[in-house]
Amino acid sequence: MYEIRFHGRGGQGAVMAAQTLAEAAVLQGFHAQAFPYFGAERRGAPVKAFTRIDEKRISLKSQIYKPDMLVILDGGLPDIEPIADGLRPEGKAVVNTTLRPEEYDLGISVDCVTVDATTIAYEKLKAPIVNTAILGAIAKADDIVSLDHVLQAIKDKFGEKLGERAGVLNAEAAKTAYDTCIEGRCKGERPLVQKATWLPPWEEIPPGTALPVANMGEVVVGPGSSWQNLTGTWRIQSPMYKKDKCVRCLRCWWSCPEGTIKRQEDDYMRWDYRYCKGCGVCANICPASAIEMKKGAREW
Amino acid sequence: MSEAKDITKLTLRDVPNKDYFLWGHGACPGCGVAIAVKNIMRILGPDTIVYVPASCLVVFAAQYPTSAFDVPYFFTAFENTGAVATGIKAAMRRKGKKAAVVGFAGDGGTFDIGLQALSGAADRNEDILYVCLDNEAYMNTGIQMSGATPFGAWTTTSPVGKVIKGKRRFKKDVDHIMAAHEPPYMATLSIAHFNDFVRKVERAKSIEGFRFLHVLTPCVPGWRSESSRTMEIAKLAVETGMWTLFEAVKGESSLTYKPSTMLPVTDYLKLQGRFAHMTVDDVNALQRWLCMKWWVHYKDQVEAPPCKLYETERPVAHDGDPLHGV
Repeated sequence: MYEIRFHGRGGQGAVMAAQTLAEAAVLQGFHAQAFPYFGAERRGAPVKAFTRIDEKRISLKSQIYKPDMLVILDGGLPDIEPIADGLRPEGKAVVNTTLRPEEYDLGISVDCVTVDATTIAYEKLKAPIVNTAILGAIAKADDIVSLDHVLQAIKDKFGEKLGERAGVLNAEAAKTAYDTCIEGRCKGERPLVQKATWLPPWEEIPPGTALPVANMGEVVVGPGSSWQNLTGTWRIQSPMYKKDKCVRCLRCWWSCPEGTIKRQEDDYMRWDYRYCKGCGVCANICPASAIEMKKGAREW
Repeated sequence: MSEAKDITKLTLRDVPNKDYFLWGHGACPGCGVAIAVKNIMRILGPDTIVYVPASCLVVFAAQYPTSAFDVPYFFTAFENTGAVATGIKAAMRRKGKKAAVVGFAGDGGTFDIGLQALSGAADRNEDILYVCLDNEAYMNTGIQMSGATPFGAWTTTSPVGKVIKGKRRFKKDVDHIMAAHEPPYMATLSIAHFNDFVRKVERAKSIEGFRFLHVLTPCVPGWRSESSRTMEIAKLAVETGMWTLFEAVKGESSLTYKPSTMLPVTDYLKLQGRFAHMTVDDVNALQRWLCMKWWVHYKDQVEAPPCKLYETERPVAHDGDPLHGV
């Protein structure tokens, strides 16, 4: 059995990529399954999807904990989560990044293919939807599925859903990725540390439903403890504040869904980029053009 | 804030600069619900107990054991916001504690599933604040149609087919259902009309008895809109008549804001992918309905409907069930 785990962000198309890869495997004559992991978090949050490929019928239905291949749709994800956890030492990794494999630190040193799928997606599709480009790189990384079957699966699946032209463009993106991706071996210097959680057995949960603010080892639980979730890592564009243009109308402060815009004593603003998700509401509502959205997760 | 300040003169500047709905929650970027809840919590302050039924808010704000609410928070099932808030208030009364109890329900939990508990609480005139965060569908479970979904909108249970495109009925008027209960205070709010918003929440905070606030909260994935346009869409909803701002004290309603001119509804529709399929006939049907609504709502200020109405209204088609009405 060959198991592939996809890591991406909500909206990048990790689920579609997993499904398309499974279809390509079926076209090649294998049995395959594909399914996403449903977390509670929303757009921009890290998401997972899985594909299993086998010569015989697959009856296993669990998540994939020890993948043979890791597909990373956003090269920055290892900074947030230990996503390489469980990857077999003889496994492979496919990463969307501008770096070369030897420069990329995954946490486990394995055979790695890097591809600048974001640039390819912008060129071919005019949108940062990287799932089809990454499929081309998967075909390069391992011959479990051939490029022809991947391209056919993309044309079928995307063509059916978004129209024939979209199918062809997406297949082109995959072909470009297949031609331009770089093979090598990535670094394994980063420690893989699981995020601390507090999930006691039910007998140890405090009686009743009221949970006071409490420090449970490394985790704080109870009212107001959400600050431990640094949602700023979801950001793909960042607001830049120009204080000299600010008219102190407080509209951005009012309309920030995260509360990352801090109102100062003098009614000027300060940004807490640790939590900013980069939605752009503040830049859109500002009457004085004092906030500008810039590409990438940046801070000022 | 100085206590002496007249509530009708409050502005954005008077909102306390202390958050009780904290950062680090998992809402989508540009979430309208998060904007509404954050600002309501700023105004209500620390002596508040929050109850949330099944909705996006419970999933993104408070997953055991963490919570984004910096105040006591409670969650049970979908249909009982009115009942549970009543119970919490009763417990506080019994313990001799002064605390405002607020229930944040979604439109599904208000219009459809929670209507009986809401009606009961309003009927008993319980001393609670009920906030309906209306994003016009069951967004938490993946965009299913609710009674709040507007005419023509796509959802997964009002899909776009060859014959029937989107929802075939108009939005349920839950505000008039609530006004008929004659509660001490009720109001409709828009996150984009912030001064109006501040005044209404402050007013609701100052009154005893059952209070109902109805907020329109644009939903980025469910409305198929851009995350940066949340406030713009909320503003256009009011300017096109899709959303009307009023308040009612013991059933006596009064307008709080009237747009100077009525913008065509297409200004609102074109920013949202859920209306992208709408035919000219459907847009006209919606526009006619809005003109009628505008005329009824602003009767004292408008002499005639702002656009031509057909003399006999074309009946609105049913959902496509061949046995419908048999």
